[in-house]
Amino acid sequence: MKAPSWVQEVFEHYLICEFTSIDNGKPVTFPLLFFYDNNSAKFVVTSSILFSRKIEHMKRNPKVSLLFSNPEGSGVEKHVVLVQGIAKIEDSDLDHAWERYLPMWRKKEPYIDGFLAAREQFAWFWKRIVVEVEPRKILAWKNGDTSKAPEAVSL
Amino acid sequence: MEERRYLQGSGGSQPLTALELVDPDRLSLFRYGVVTWIDKDGFPFSVATDFLLSENGEILLRKPSAYPTMMGAGASVGVLFNHITGIPTGGYTDRRYMLVWGRVSEDKGFLKLHPEEVSEWDEKILPFDKLCAAAVPQGKKYLESLQPSIDA
Repeated sequence: MKAPSWVQEVFEHYLICEFTSIDNGKPVTFPLLFFYDNNSAKFVVTSSILFSRKIEHMKRNPKVSLLFSNPEGSGVEKHVVLVQGIAKIEDSDLDHAWERYLPMWRKKEPYIDGFLAAREQFAWFWKRIVVEVEPRKILAWKNGDTSKAPEAVSL
Repeated sequence: MEERRYLQGSGGSQPLTALELVDPDRLSLFRYGVVTWIDKDGFPFSVATDFLLSENGEILLRKPSAYPTMMGAGASVGVLFNHITGIPTGGYTDRRYMLVWGRVSEDKGFLKLHPEEVSEWDEKILPFDKLCAAAVPQGKKYLESLQPSIDA
């Protein structure tokens, strides 16, 4: 991916994205914590089985989008970036597959270890599905001015 | 983070009005909305935009440049209003969102949103542990969907 540095900053520092799946033609958008793998240029979100309706949507239709519009808590300036991509669901190891993202999770939410310590109390919250999103199109609005046309980012 | 409260404007014997669906006092606490539609390639297309609340409770979204002219009147969209507060030592708190589905019509540079359904959550009203408890049936359903068929 040949993203400008300000787009790269968004991917590396924003805490959350607005993630959309499609339910029978209807867009369903929720704020989600995301992880960005700079090496593969792929995005990952994880979902508890408790909040797995979006996973059911993606199993029927893997077309998704991630919007990065909220710099709150990230320490970087506001820009808006849209990623459209194809979601791949990994739910064969609900107890452990997501653990490889713990180092990135810990950086974003340093208090997550407190929740992990109560893993038995929140057992089903920690049964988590991994969703890997391969980007197909990226559009970016510098300074978040969406009244202007976006820049296309080369993949 | 899924629904704390879900309301639908049609389908019942007495359809709910826009003001009954969307609490304008709660909506006014959000700074902007994320409008999403399905684009010509079948992908969700989201864009952030400012919004205004008119005196009679109408939701007016500033029309983003990316909004396609071919959408026409009465196009269906979802609009997420979301809030978090960053914590200086890392992470965030004060999570709340409101997701409104409805139709939009163009009105002097704005998209007027006609709400039909809403789903919302505010952790100050429903703490996260209680939200998890309420979601157990969905977790059970998902686990059951992973079980191999026991049909002979």
